[in-house]
Amino acid sequence: MFMTRSEYDRGVTTFSPEGRLFQVEYAIEAIKLGSTAIAILTKEGIVLAVERRTQSPLMVPSSLDKIMEIDSHVACAVSGLTADAQSMVEHGRVQAQNHYFTYNESMPVRSLTQSLCALSANFGTDDEDSMSRPFGVALLVAGHDVDNGYQLYHTDPSGTWTAYKAKAIGSGSEGAQTTLQEEYKDDMTLKEAENLALSTLKAVMEEKVSTANVDMASVAPKYEIYSKDRIKEIIERL
Amino acid sequence: MAALKLDYSVLDAPQRATDRIEADCAREIHGDVHAQNFKLPMVENYDEFQREVVDYVKPNHGTTTLGFIFEHGVVIAVDSRASQGPYISSQTVKKVIEINPYLLGTMAGGAADCQFWQRNLGIQCRLHELENGKRISVAGASKLLANTLYGYRGQGLSMGTMVAGWDLKGPGLYYVDSDGTRLKGQRFSVGSGSLFAYGVLDQGYRWDLSVEEACELGRRAIYHATFRDAFSGGTISVYHVNENGWTKVSGTDVGELHFEYYPADPVENPEGGKGAGGGKDKDAAGDAMES
Repeated sequence: MFMTRSEYDRGVTTFSPEGRLFQVEYAIEAIKLGSTAIAILTKEGIVLAVERRTQSPLMVPSSLDKIMEIDSHVACAVSGLTADAQSMVEHGRVQAQNHYFTYNESMPVRSLTQSLCALSANFGTDDEDSMSRPFGVALLVAGHDVDNGYQLYHTDPSGTWTAYKAKAIGSGSEGAQTTLQEEYKDDMTLKEAENLALSTLKAVMEEKVSTANVDMASVAPKYEIYSKDRIKEIIERL
Repeated sequence: MAALKLDYSVLDAPQRATDRIEADCAREIHGDVHAQNFKLPMVENYDEFQREVVDYVKPNHGTTTLGFIFEHGVVIAVDSRASQGPYISSQTVKKVIEINPYLLGTMAGGAADCQFWQRNLGIQCRLHELENGKRISVAGASKLLANTLYGYRGQGLSMGTMVAGWDLKGPGLYYVDSDGTRLKGQRFSVGSGSLFAYGVLDQGYRWDLSVEEACELGRRAIYHATFRDAFSGGTISVYHVNENGWTKVSGTDVGELHFEYYPADPVENPEGGKGAGGGKDKDAAGDAMES
């Protein structure tokens, strides 16, 4: 199988005769190795829940940040290579601040997502700040703006972005997405979304959920990371 | 025998040194949040152009701003007049720039320079906050501004500003100007009316002033500066910063304050004859004439 792909999976900008970009496809595969992240959109706000995978008891769990604030009205949950996510988030933060500087208003969530995707799709070019390979990360971008209310976008290494009502990424995404599809309702409250996000995450996680191995946040309408006590409360509610 | 190498450089397309400088500058600046894509003017002699251009651009030097730290935080007081040469171009300038809920900047010198670079400072402070998960210190914020201004030293910026705020260490006050100077202090006044304001401020300052007394002192000091300095006036804005961030305390027309601090009715001179003016306020000019 690999022999048939030979040569065409080397260059990041070369299509195979079947019309595929293998490096981008491999990058998408890389995300499936990452920890699971879930986001659910409701009329009251967006809930983000991620799994923290500590590989050793000596590892400090608080150093694994999988939910990041881009601006006070936008946050994202990541899965895949977190180092790449850091670069993308850093880019997003600068874009959001420059937008505010220029227009004196918060950057629309869709524009911000597009800007992140433009960066993602900019691999293999001669640009000074261009990456030599695609970013090996998927983001769930959750935000609120005055014009379009709550929005949830999924971005992948090819630079494609899609709006979702509920989305799971990472190693447990297949199972989690099925659960979300069955359980999601348009008129969910934020509290119900918290329950659904955590119970879905719990079902696909290998370890038992605890305040040490999950992280939660919401954008409603401002970004807020949940404290350990608040996560404990949700775990007990399930 | 060494091969003779011909110099063909005379055949190259003519290139001016300034083109290169400009290209180098643009490259260096590109993508840097500090720089906002500033480009240098395309001139033969840059230094000469700078000296020449200072005569065209008359910066707004008329201003009085002040700030001081006391027991209950920081007080910032400013006037609101803008002048272009002898012409008073505005009486309603906002000279306190609200960088974020815990940081204030004051404006003296070029209004555009202050507005632009302090908003730019706002960006840098917010990015610091996002990257480090905590608010920037007043010392850090003022240094960011001083560093950007030093980077543009000699290129015509005109700013005399105070950065005031509250951080983990408590109240903070720094003076930063377009020469790149950055001074930490307890009391500052900046602008053409600053000497008048200092007179009142230094005389009335105490560490244990109440918040009301402190705001009153700031307002009175600016008032007296607007009275003696033709380039200061309009309305006086007073801000107070404490551990909960800044609040705007008052905005008062100097015309109204005049009757409070400097009543028009002449008072009897106890030694006979009419007093030259003066009133309730000890700082008024009439008293000074007696000695």
